[in-house]
Amino acid sequence: MDQLFDVSLFSSTLRMITPILLAALGGAICARVGLFNVGLEGLMLIGAFSAIVGNHYTGNVWLAVLFAIFCTLLFSLLFAYMSINLRANVIVVGIALNFLAAGITTFALRALFNVKGAYYNKDMVGLPKWDIPLIDQIPGIGKWLSMVLSGHSPLVYLSFVLVLLLQLFLFKTVTGFRLLAAGENATAARSIGMKVTRIQYGAILLCGVLCGLAGAQLSLGNVTMFNEGMTSGRGFIALVATMLGQSNPLGVAASSLLFGFMEALSLRLQGFAMPTHFTMMVPYVVTILAMIVFKDKSYLSEARKANESSR
Amino acid sequence: MLQPLLAIIVGLIVGAIAIAIVGGDILETYKEMWKGAFGSFYFLTNTLSRATPIILIGLGVALAFRAGFFNMGSEGQMVLGALSAAVTAIYLPGPGWFKLIGAIVAAIISGGIWSAFAGWLDAKFRMNLLITTLLLNYIATLFAGYFVAYPLKDRSGSAAMAQTVMIDKSAWLPKLFQGMSLHAGFILAIIGMIGLYLYMKYTVRGYEIRMLGANPLFASYGGVERSKLVLVSMFASGGFAGLAGAVEVLGTQYRYLEGALTTPGYAWSGIMATLLANSHPIGTAVAAILLAALQTGGMGMERNTDVPLEVSEIIQAALILFVSAKFTYSFIKRRKKARG
Repeated sequence: MDQLFDVSLFSSTLRMITPILLAALGGAICARVGLFNVGLEGLMLIGAFSAIVGNHYTGNVWLAVLFAIFCTLLFSLLFAYMSINLRANVIVVGIALNFLAAGITTFALRALFNVKGAYYNKDMVGLPKWDIPLIDQIPGIGKWLSMVLSGHSPLVYLSFVLVLLLQLFLFKTVTGFRLLAAGENATAARSIGMKVTRIQYGAILLCGVLCGLAGAQLSLGNVTMFNEGMTSGRGFIALVATMLGQSNPLGVAASSLLFGFMEALSLRLQGFAMPTHFTMMVPYVVTILAMIVFKDKSYLSEARKANESSR
Repeated sequence: MLQPLLAIIVGLIVGAIAIAIVGGDILETYKEMWKGAFGSFYFLTNTLSRATPIILIGLGVALAFRAGFFNMGSEGQMVLGALSAAVTAIYLPGPGWFKLIGAIVAAIISGGIWSAFAGWLDAKFRMNLLITTLLLNYIATLFAGYFVAYPLKDRSGSAAMAQTVMIDKSAWLPKLFQGMSLHAGFILAIIGMIGLYLYMKYTVRGYEIRMLGANPLFASYGGVERSKLVLVSMFASGGFAGLAGAVEVLGTQYRYLEGALTTPGYAWSGIMATLLANSHPIGTAVAAILLAALQTGGMGMERNTDVPLEVSEIIQAALILFVSAKFTYSFIKRRKKARG
């Protein structure tokens, strides 16, 4: 048991969840304005790929991250334009976006780097690892804390800061309230002169930025390479984390922790040659159970109505 | 009809741009693609056999979409169907035809129940069907993965693959032509297509399903019981997906092999076909064949030109993106208004 739950398990949990958490926060913002973004997977994939492209051509990690954000922004603009202006079904657009992202990245991988499957270059530098100063000075648990918390990429720390910032933004600022109102009842919001379309655009673009960061962490933080379809369902897991967290930044963080922990635990169990299928199943079962408990949130039923009437 | 056709043209234009970017000859590449999909009888049957599971899944999804339910769980339903078909065909005693029919029925029932479970969660707890079906996908694939990795694993061969033992030859779905990959599952898919078309068009239940999807309030005013219809239509929808899994196992793989159904993305292609055809049963089948042709054609293109296979993925994505936007219609309407 000691071997199973050692420091590196918790440390790898933190690394695992960051992409999921960032994308899930983006999903939460979208869900709050009444747009259910199924395209998280595709956005994240675009982010991961363009981060590598940026790194390859500029040789600078930070420019690479910026480039990833720029590319996912373009993609989320497409999502916003299709679903808001052309009034296409949000879910259908999301699915289409996932296909498009998978196609474009594998195609561009071939066109730009002339490789198939994966791109790896030993000259590429990943995101730096930051240590938290003074944390190992804390008496008692300091050493353990520093081993778990230190030595991650800046995006890992940024994601947790963002959780708090988004929580404050949504529930303590006027703009946040406007955003919530636009999702709660778009017609009512419009009737008092709010620019609902602009708010929705803002939310989708913010989601794009977050997914870009998520992708960058995936391809430059966890490893320094790009694999075809390397998000491997993380976008959908993020979607589930959004649901489980009730589109509430703190809740989303907690549910992402659960998913990340289970993923890390499954990887560990694999090392012990134990069946991992059931541990990997846990988050999904928990989500279903949680949905029974926290049902009928008003904004969700709004989103549901939008889904149902649109077909 | 106009909108899908325009979408295909747009898709081909986007594909042409992609081909031009990698420096291929556009006409030559499309010619190779056509040859790879329909160029000879062998390639044609190959395309149709790839289309078979896509058609079946598409039909199931179309039924659910028509009723207004976003069934995203085809993958899990298909996997469970495939697993139960394999298990039934391996362990059910009796003659080959009996095993075969038993396997197909078991697949339909298991896929259907898995899907109806999501319907039940919707009817009972008002849980968002889109989410529950997505979640159930993971649970189903992990569940099936466990069975073929541990209790049902084929330990006879030297290969360390997660797969069941091979099904007895007597229970295989017959091939339609000697030496070709097309099997009797394609006929089942065509029967399913015609059956679903007639059912939706001429039966009372079919009318209720269409009404519920088109206008839920009107349907409930007219006495349509939503909660009952959720269960029925989700069961049928999952049954189609289960059948898709069964014909793949009984007609192509002859065993349940981990990842053999999920890696080619049949479930998502099926959903794509439904979206392209706006949930019309016959249109869905046509769209499924078109998508399969893009996939097999892409392989042919990659064999004979320098253009990568991924071009066909881009065409597929562009297709669905443009179909999903109501853009062509509103564009035409706007132009008409501007003129008049």
